Amino acid sequence: MIVDDIFDLVSYRVHPEPHIRLNQDTCRGCTHRACTFACPARCYTYSEERERVDFAYEACLECGTCLLVCDRGALDWSYPVGGCGVRFRLT
Amino acid sequence: MGQLDQRAGLQTAGGEIRASGVRHAGGPALPDEITKAGETAWAGQPALRSRSTPASFDAIVVGAGPAGTTAALALAQAGKRVLLLERGDYPGAKNMFGGMVAWCPAPEKLLPGFWSQAPWERAVTKRTLSIAAAGSTTSLIFQAAAESEAPTIGGGATSDRSLTGLTLFRPHFDRWYAEQAVAHGVTVLCGCRVEGLVRRGGQVVGVRVAGPDDIVEAPLVIACDGALSLLAAEAGLHSGVKAENMALGVRALYALSEEEIDARFGLVGREGATQEFLGCTGGVRGGGFIYTQTEALSVGLVLHLDSLKAQGVAPYELLERFVASPLVAPLLRGARLVEYSAHLLPEAGLRMTPRLQTAGLLVAGDAAGFCYTNGLTQEGMNLAMTSGLLAGRVAAEALEAGDVSAARLARYRRALEESFVLRDLRTYQKAIDFLHHDRLFTVYPRVVGALMEDLYRSDGRPKEKIRRLARRALKGELSVGQLVADIFRAGRAFV
Repeated sequence: MIVDDIFDLVSYRVHPEPHIRLNQDTCRGCTHRACTFACPARCYTYSEERERVDFAYEACLECGTCLLVCDRGALDWSYPVGGCGVRFRLT
Repeated sequence: MGQLDQRAGLQTAGGEIRASGVRHAGGPALPDEITKAGETAWAGQPALRSRSTPASFDAIVVGAGPAGTTAALALAQAGKRVLLLERGDYPGAKNMFGGMVAWCPAPEKLLPGFWSQAPWERAVTKRTLSIAAAGSTTSLIFQAAAESEAPTIGGGATSDRSLTGLTLFRPHFDRWYAEQAVAHGVTVLCGCRVEGLVRRGGQVVGVRVAGPDDIVEAPLVIACDGALSLLAAEAGLHSGVKAENMALGVRALYALSEEEIDARFGLVGREGATQEFLGCTGGVRGGGFIYTQTEALSVGLVLHLDSLKAQGVAPYELLERFVASPLVAPLLRGARLVEYSAHLLPEAGLRMTPRLQTAGLLVAGDAAGFCYTNGLTQEGMNLAMTSGLLAGRVAAEALEAGDVSAARLARYRRALEESFVLRDLRTYQKAIDFLHHDRLFTVYPRVVGALMEDLYRSDGRPKEKIRRLARRALKGELSVGQLVADIFRAGRAFV
């Protein structure tokens, strides 16, 4: 799938600190886990063994989908620090 | 080619771009900058870092997209000192658009000859709307007369390019546009994330840029910070953007030679084509698109976020199916996938328009929800540039009068109501609402497919009139009552 090759297809300047933080306590108990399928960069995955949603920020496309589909307010959301994050190319 | 020359000119035209090396290790990010040649006030950010420095700008514009750059340019041309802040390390770095901008006169008013100079890709003369069913596709094709894409059209303020939208790449376009703003005296600062507003006595007086102690002040702020509209929410102009008012766009960009694109879409010279699809989104409300760039195809889906959430399907899976479908795959044969991107679009029209001003603050572009589709056209950048122009003008007059109160700035809303921006949103509000009915994206493509297949079918049996065929096509799909209700809705929406 296209999303499997996201790091080849999109250029990023990754900041050492994540710009979005997932509050596990608030996240727990969510029944739809919409972030795990709606995020177009597949940054959210459900871990069966840890029984929680894991989040990796590096591939984030900064669209805001996760912020809007999360109805528990589990995300501390901001854009990456200036100059960091996704950089769409001058193709 | 002129197009390539223009791109090369980005490096020199009236400004200097440094796009390398944002430093963040061990300290706060120091933004890269685009400054006017010879202007060094921002080197090392001394003014930006000092709380006690008196405001040295009349206005701050947040976001160097089409709305922000237009607003900044309008202010600068009115003699105001403007700071334009952009979080990407060049204007357009965060923009995945790559679609078609509907022609509009707003930027020509600031930069005569704008549309003949701006770096666009193709002038769209051919627009196709296709309704996809399992066994067939039914299309409506609009074709503007030959030569309507000629570069002379749209070259002057009085000429007409109204039938041909332009495809373009936002990283090129936004960067070029910001450079024009620089040449007119705007200070553009890139790699600078605005974290929030500075308010005093109920009035917006500046923005926080890098941390709680880093603020920059000005009597007026214009928020053009994009679809999530975080600054307007902070100012209390709306209560946060909602999933049911937004759509997610996902796009794959495919490189293909100019000659192949011309041949596959039947194009000549700089002509371009767009194709939109209904019934290709796996039951999610939304549609598919293909836009021709000069040497690339933008292929993607726009999906209503609440519907995507309810259906529990991943956008990239739907995109994968769309790209592999018989609708799209033949057009992409031999093309090379070069980029993938995603972005949110405001989709609810007036239902989501925030309050547009408060003391010291105006909101324009996507941040104001100025983006819509009525099913045939998708408009956003033209609304952004027009709202940016009006915001910049109202702001300049307010600064001149020394009155940036909410009451004074309400002139912005009145100007929008007289312009096509709020008028079009009002005209098409029922169409926008109509496009939030699931049936349009699931049942109707199947019904249209079944009806058209029966009309064209030749199998040795006698043919029937449309009424009988329609009844058969509707069987099991839709009750007569539902059909009548939808026809009534469609009538109110478009007629």
